[in-house]
Amino acid sequence: MLSLWVAFITGLTTGGLSCMAVQGGLLASSLANQIEKEVGGPGTKTKQKKSPKIALPITLFLTAKLIAYTLMGALLGALGSVLQVTPTMRAILQFLIAIFMIGNALRMLNVHPIFRYFSFEPPASVTRFIRKKAKNKTSLFTPIFLGALTILIPCGITQSMMAGAIATGSPLLGAALMFAFTLGTSPVFFILSYFATKLGSLLEKQLVRVVAVVLLVLGLLSIDTGLNLLGSPYSITKLLQTNTQPKVAEMLPVESQSANVITLNVVNSGYQPNVLQAPADTELTLNLITKNTNSCSRAFLIPELNISELLDQTGTKSVLIPAQPAGKKIAFTCSMGMYTGEIVFN
Amino acid sequence: MKTLHLEVKDMHCSNCAMKLQALEDDLPGVTTVDASYHTQRMKVVYDETVVTPESIMDAVQKLGYTPDLS
Repeated sequence: MLSLWVAFITGLTTGGLSCMAVQGGLLASSLANQIEKEVGGPGTKTKQKKSPKIALPITLFLTAKLIAYTLMGALLGALGSVLQVTPTMRAILQFLIAIFMIGNALRMLNVHPIFRYFSFEPPASVTRFIRKKAKNKTSLFTPIFLGALTILIPCGITQSMMAGAIATGSPLLGAALMFAFTLGTSPVFFILSYFATKLGSLLEKQLVRVVAVVLLVLGLLSIDTGLNLLGSPYSITKLLQTNTQPKVAEMLPVESQSANVITLNVVNSGYQPNVLQAPADTELTLNLITKNTNSCSRAFLIPELNISELLDQTGTKSVLIPAQPAGKKIAFTCSMGMYTGEIVFN
Repeated sequence: MKTLHLEVKDMHCSNCAMKLQALEDDLPGVTTVDASYHTQRMKVVYDETVVTPESIMDAVQKLGYTPDLS
């Protein structure tokens, strides 16, 4: 899963700009009268003249947008929880998200016309309806209404986040993800709203490549998550782990380790050690130890053995591992596919 | 009423299509515009007694796009 921080930072950077390009015109046109009235027309100095009368409708617009997207995140997460049964299904969803993101990135890079279909195109009736509403500039209700309506015209990055919200499989996490992302986009919206409609298309043209690259990276990240959820030994996370961390790590003292008991410390940053050595051909007890652990590492999975445990924040949970032949490697991961490790039998 | 079919190859997102659709409101004599980013085409229904195809194409150009008769 995309972590909340990644969602927030994505919103704050490329997401904000990309959404501004698509939805900014809507906001700016609904505010145009007020902006002109308060800070003068285009070409006049706008610095030091920011009036609360402009700030208010923008804030209302952004608040409505934030609420609408958070609710949508909850709905998408709920949808995901209905769909999502096993880590394998979640992995498949991650791959679909990856295809979607990479397709969108290739679309933005103009690789082939076929990739245009990765972009959601609202029907003319919907855009007509939104446009008519945007022309009504009289009340503060308009920015609220338009802010909420932005869910009908999500930008490419927002659409990817929405797919991510489905993948969380939880209304709460879905809502949190969309909240973090939309909150991240808000400062960009707020600042750029002062610069009227033209900026939208300008930004879109200049930053389209940056946005595309970010989507590509997010797409690859999503594939990586999917691979981890499948327990695949080949993923970027695992590759990085092998290169940056000691292979057989006794990073934390492992207490009272008898022949048939192995211990894994579940910490906020993942699993320690991330490569566990275990005797082959014998049934094992795997003790999972948490101590003030709050991250998603608490949702522990061994995809190959269909083991799935949600650990307490602090405590020890024992899991039985059936006998495995020598040389066998079994991957474990958090339920989001972010933190991984493996048990090596010998 | 007449219909004009245009190819606009430089639409690069759905937002461009929306901008072109706004000609419905901005250009007198134009009744409906269906623009699609997917197909890079737009269909304009207009009143030929009020507006000419040339002025519709001009308006599209003013929005920053290059229309071609298709």
